[in-house]
Amino acid sequence: MVGPIYIIAIALGTAFSLGFFKKANSNFSFAFMLFAMAFMTFISGQWLYAFLTQQQETIQIFTAGFKPPFSISLQMGLHESVFLSLINIIGLLAAIYLYDQLKEKGVQMMMIFVLLFMGLNVVIMTRDIFNLFVFLEIASIATAGLIILDKSINATSAGFKYIIATGIISGILLIGIIAIYYFAGSLFINDIIKLNLIYVKGGAVAVFLVLIAIILELKPFPANGWALDVYEAAHPGIGAVISAASASAGIFVLAKILPIVGDSGYYIIGLIGIITFLGSNLLGLKQDRANRLLGYSSIGQIGLLLTIIGLTPYLGDKTLFIAFGVLISHALAKAGLFWLAGIVNSEYIKGWAAIRRKPLLLVLMGTFIFALVGFPPFPSFFAKWELIMQLANNDKIIWLALILIGSFIEGIYLFRWFGYAIKEKNEDLPEFPIKLNKVIPVSIVAAGLYLIGYYTGLAIPEAAIINYIPLIFIVIIFALDFLPAYVKNSISILGLAYYSYTIIPAYFENDMLRFIFVVIFLIGGILTFIAGYAYKGKRRGFYPVALIMYVGLVQIIQAENLLQFFFGWELMTAGSYFLIIRGKKSMAHALSYMLFSMGGAYLILAGFALAQQGQMSLSLDVLNSISNNAFIIISLLMIGFLTKTATLGLHIWLPGAHGEAESDVSPMVSAILLKAGVFGLIILLISTIKNIETVSIVYILGWLGAITALIGNLGAAFQEDAKRLLAYSSIGQLGYIVFGLAMMTHLGWLTAFTYTINHFMYKAILFLTIGAVVLRVGTHNMYEMGGLIKKMPFAFIAVLIGIIALSGVPPLSGFTGKWLLYNAVILKGWYFQGAIAFFAGIIAFLYLFKLISSIFLGQLKDNHRNVKEISIWFIIPIYILIIGLMIFAAKPELILQPMGDIVAQYFPDGGLNWDGGLATTPIGNWHGTHIMIIVGVMFMLLLTWLVVLSRKAQKVKQFNIVYSGERPFTPETTHISYNIFAGYNKALGFLVMPWITNFWNFMSDIIHDTAGFVRRIYSGNGQTYLAHIIIYIVVVYFVFFN
Amino acid sequence: MNIDFNKLFFTFLGLMIVLNWGLLMSALMRKIGARVAKRYGIPWFQPWVDLVKNYAIRSQITHGVMFYLGPVFRLSGGVGLFLFMPMVFGSDLWTNFSFKGDLILILYFQFFGMLGMALGAGEGGQPHSFIGISRGLSQFTTIEVPMTLAVIAIAVQYQTLSISDIVAAQQGGIMNWTVFTNPFATAAAMLSVLGAFGHSPFNLVKAPNEIPIGPPTEYHGTYLGVLRTNAAILHVVEAVLFMNLFFGGATTWIELIVKSFLIYFWSVFVGMVFPRFRIEQSVAWFLKIPLILGIIAIILL
Amino acid sequence: MENLNLEIITLITGVILVLIGIWGLLTQKNLIKIVIGFTLFDTGIHIIMVSIGYVKNRTAPIIDQSVNINDVGNSVVDPVPQALVLTAIVIGLGVTALMLTYVLKMYQKRKSLEINNYNDLKW
Repeated sequence: MVGPIYIIAIALGTAFSLGFFKKANSNFSFAFMLFAMAFMTFISGQWLYAFLTQQQETIQIFTAGFKPPFSISLQMGLHESVFLSLINIIGLLAAIYLYDQLKEKGVQMMMIFVLLFMGLNVVIMTRDIFNLFVFLEIASIATAGLIILDKSINATSAGFKYIIATGIISGILLIGIIAIYYFAGSLFINDIIKLNLIYVKGGAVAVFLVLIAIILELKPFPANGWALDVYEAAHPGIGAVISAASASAGIFVLAKILPIVGDSGYYIIGLIGIITFLGSNLLGLKQDRANRLLGYSSIGQIGLLLTIIGLTPYLGDKTLFIAFGVLISHALAKAGLFWLAGIVNSEYIKGWAAIRRKPLLLVLMGTFIFALVGFPPFPSFFAKWELIMQLANNDKIIWLALILIGSFIEGIYLFRWFGYAIKEKNEDLPEFPIKLNKVIPVSIVAAGLYLIGYYTGLAIPEAAIINYIPLIFIVIIFALDFLPAYVKNSISILGLAYYSYTIIPAYFENDMLRFIFVVIFLIGGILTFIAGYAYKGKRRGFYPVALIMYVGLVQIIQAENLLQFFFGWELMTAGSYFLIIRGKKSMAHALSYMLFSMGGAYLILAGFALAQQGQMSLSLDVLNSISNNAFIIISLLMIGFLTKTATLGLHIWLPGAHGEAESDVSPMVSAILLKAGVFGLIILLISTIKNIETVSIVYILGWLGAITALIGNLGAAFQEDAKRLLAYSSIGQLGYIVFGLAMMTHLGWLTAFTYTINHFMYKAILFLTIGAVVLRVGTHNMYEMGGLIKKMPFAFIAVLIGIIALSGVPPLSGFTGKWLLYNAVILKGWYFQGAIAFFAGIIAFLYLFKLISSIFLGQLKDNHRNVKEISIWFIIPIYILIIGLMIFAAKPELILQPMGDIVAQYFPDGGLNWDGGLATTPIGNWHGTHIMIIVGVMFMLLLTWLVVLSRKAQKVKQFNIVYSGERPFTPETTHISYNIFAGYNKALGFLVMPWITNFWNFMSDIIHDTAGFVRRIYSGNGQTYLAHIIIYIVVVYFVFFN
Repeated sequence: MNIDFNKLFFTFLGLMIVLNWGLLMSALMRKIGARVAKRYGIPWFQPWVDLVKNYAIRSQITHGVMFYLGPVFRLSGGVGLFLFMPMVFGSDLWTNFSFKGDLILILYFQFFGMLGMALGAGEGGQPHSFIGISRGLSQFTTIEVPMTLAVIAIAVQYQTLSISDIVAAQQGGIMNWTVFTNPFATAAAMLSVLGAFGHSPFNLVKAPNEIPIGPPTEYHGTYLGVLRTNAAILHVVEAVLFMNLFFGGATTWIELIVKSFLIYFWSVFVGMVFPRFRIEQSVAWFLKIPLILGIIAIILL
Repeated sequence: MENLNLEIITLITGVILVLIGIWGLLTQKNLIKIVIGFTLFDTGIHIIMVSIGYVKNRTAPIIDQSVNINDVGNSVVDPVPQALVLTAIVIGLGVTALMLTYVLKMYQKRKSLEINNYNDLKW
């Protein structure tokens, strides 16, 4: 094996020999340098391989043949090899990336580049504290040298600020080192550790100075203005190196000197870390320049790493796993993003909209963003999971909360940025050239993230059982993205069909509860995919993300433990985010969806963590035996799930997200996706059924559900946009489901299940139909439609059946739900909540009438004279669903009877009895089948009678109406649709004033304004930054020695 | 389902009784209205004459299928309510198909006709229809609020949702009637019935002066005949519903006729006295005193 | 004055230099003066380093006439800080040179030595 000392030798040798090359030979000299970097990478990689596979022992290397303290010693162990490999790979890729710049600047710049990495390598390996200083300085000077790569005045002034700041910091470090030497008499770290200098009078100050200097090198908030300026102004290639390689080395150095500080250092590091994590991410909120934003994010991530190091005493042997997970995600993703910044070359994040001209780059960007935020399957997901679990196990609730808050804030700006990239207008943006040498490094780090993520997952037993095969299927679909849409559509349908075939039968046998949901998810998925045939072209990116959502949904169903559940939950969130943002005007709505989902997910994560506390298990069963803090845990989980069911207060994302989505996406995210929240709620309530705290929580939940139903339906009545109307209607319908579940009785749960199944069917029917109509007429606004019944009879019938079912009018299946609800409410004794729910149910008529009449009835508009029936590909799934709806209406016992048996396991008090088709409760009775027959026969008889009497009726033209002897002017003025419930609005509109939206906007404004105010500390003046550093040292000194 | 033709015959007979009684009631209503306004009014048989005339008209137009189906939905709604309503207590033949469903079915079946009619009128494309429907739906939402509370109150009181059982529980003397055992629920329901019957002050839906008769504006001839038939049936059946729930039901047809007359004319008399509300006024009105009465009824449970 | 032996004097001198340096770094607006502040700061540190390695009544760790060749360990001061200081001086030189390079570049571009004129990057 090649000894680690050769890394230094090669780097130095290369740097010196580069000096002999002439400028003309720049290609050759670049190759020479690249070869050196590659060889350094090879050496570190080979050691890493040896440590991982061959039980290689850690080795010490003493230079010049002496033992310490008389020589400089290097150490090569597993941790060193990991960091070296990471840094050198990034270095190698960075060199490839910087090919043009390095070549242009000539051999001197290449020398500096190699020296920077030599410095970082030695910094990792050295065990000599003064040597550490020297090579830190070399790295700093080299960095400052590289900053000049960008000739702009900003880069130069940033470089100046950088060098004076690092000058001060290294001065402090030097004083500390010499003081340590004074007390310890040695520079060998291993010797110093043994002396416990922290307990020696004066020694503590020496240790403090070293510690604070190393921390300051890591750019803690708020003493980090100099670093931000560098991130912003330096060439992104250099930014990547600083953020990914130098910061990683810095973290390692901190870990290396930490034993000198001893246990008393953890607290202060944790404190500094969390302040940095929160502060930096908060200030990042107001940032609109891409590189500086990346700077804020980098510093935030380093803050998180500091926090993790500071929490070592509580994380125990998991510390390494967590820290590596976060660090690798950060380093690779941040390097990738900086490199992308160099390719896109746009100062402002809005300008990143140009990136989507190259879909590959957009995918890469998405990978990095999701990896940073901590979505599966990236290493940071598993690391954050372990982190939160360990914190909960050690009762560090405040730390847990702060970390989640910080992650959330980071998510806000990252996803806002990503939203701009996907959706902001990009017609006027300049083209950017694509060079292979720039794209390859980015692709490699992205691939690395997936690969490492996979192996990280295997390291956790609970995650190892996750089925990755569907994800591989998605990758294949992604690779086939160049094919036309119908091919991918067919493959996707086949995939889902096979998936259904493999898992659904087993659920039907064993678990009716999960069976229902898996059918909704998978069969619903297949049906909505059929509508996809209506789309021409390639529909790039649609199929992978839709499948991600379905796979996530199924993972939730299949989950046996909390981690698996959360994995599926996050996967589903990610997939649905991409689906939602595909809509034309969806940018803001997708962000709002993502933020609510992320907030919800973090609450769930916190809830899970607290729930498994002290149970030594991650099985879903731990929810059964929550003992401590049950109220808080159940509330956290519940609020988390309620973000997905869009319950009042957490619903504001839904109308826009569902309303603006594509025609076949709206049913996916409405009819299908919302059920994930319902499933989560059911799992939670089943588990905590015996928990005494649940009683008071479900009481509140009941009121919430009823009021949500009211406000959702009332909101729908005042919409002019057909899809938003349906979206508000979903809010209302989910309110009923939540209300039903909250009753915690046999009948209540049956009500909820009935609503779940019904809502799936009729909302899918309605959204598919309206979506298809929208595709034909090109507008969402109902008042711009009208009279389409004669053009689209099939669509009309579908909507008619959908609204009859939704409104709860007998004999269709909606009535099943209403009847059960009445019985459940009366038996439960929730009269007022029940009355509100029924009031809501009647308000549904307002919007349902508006929906069908404004679109299909009334006056046909002139520009729609030639529209055709909706696409056959929409009609097929719609009518399959209608058949299902009809069966459920005529034979409700087919599903409700087995469901009753399931519910009886949890609520054995019974309630609903079946005698053939006759359903009875202690107070009511109802025979669905017979009522359908009676109504049908009667209807046909009366129809026949009317036909006989008016068989000669003459068909007339549109305007042939009673109009006081006048003829109507135009269809637009004759079709009454816009604001038809104005009177109602006047009476009850105050209930749907946007209080809640205003509340969230207010919250958002507050944190943004705070960020805008606080970030003024970064005045841009180098001296202010120095003052920050000095003040920071003083403050930390007093905290450290309080 | 075995078809019992004997029963079907009696059901049909009952329907005819209800229809004719409903037509007579509408004649009485118009007569009373005329006398209050110091006019002579129509002869008592005028509704039959109108009906025959309407059905006999042969020159008709249609605006489309849904327009055509509207009256069918409407009449199905009325007849359906009749079918699911027990008419005469204690008689197996006059209880129709009420054992197939309970009070909830009745409450929701009301919408069947309303919705169908609204859609049919919608296809007519007449702006007045739309305006009438939007007012009707708006008003109906809040009418149902005190009604719902009253229904919950009596369902809890009698521990059943079956109308026959509710009537049974009120037998054995006038003091057993809900109106005495649960006066607040009855009061709330009787206020909401004012809206349900659609007389002044809640007759904005058909407001003859501003939007000539609202939803049915476009309907004429046979269609109008069907609607008239339905109106007659519906008035009686709804009055019977309130009779069953609050006033002890009826054990004979005579009792049914007397009680339904009184219940129906409660709304007619109120209508004679009070002028019409605007829509936002009527919507809000039901959420004031009637709602409070309903809430009291629930609280007193 | 008895108590003020050599090592204390150098130490105090070093600390004063460091403080003057920091004062200069924080208050002087001229870039060149800031760099001078830094060199003062750096030099102060070097003096502190030397003073720490000093042992009373011993000579420099250079083997010449003044050192008893048989008792080197007890007749010279600690050589390590001396070696370190040499390295530190070299590094300080490098850093100062780099700073001056930056100052030069900045001046070339904006014809100003006022640090307040380089506040474009902020927030």
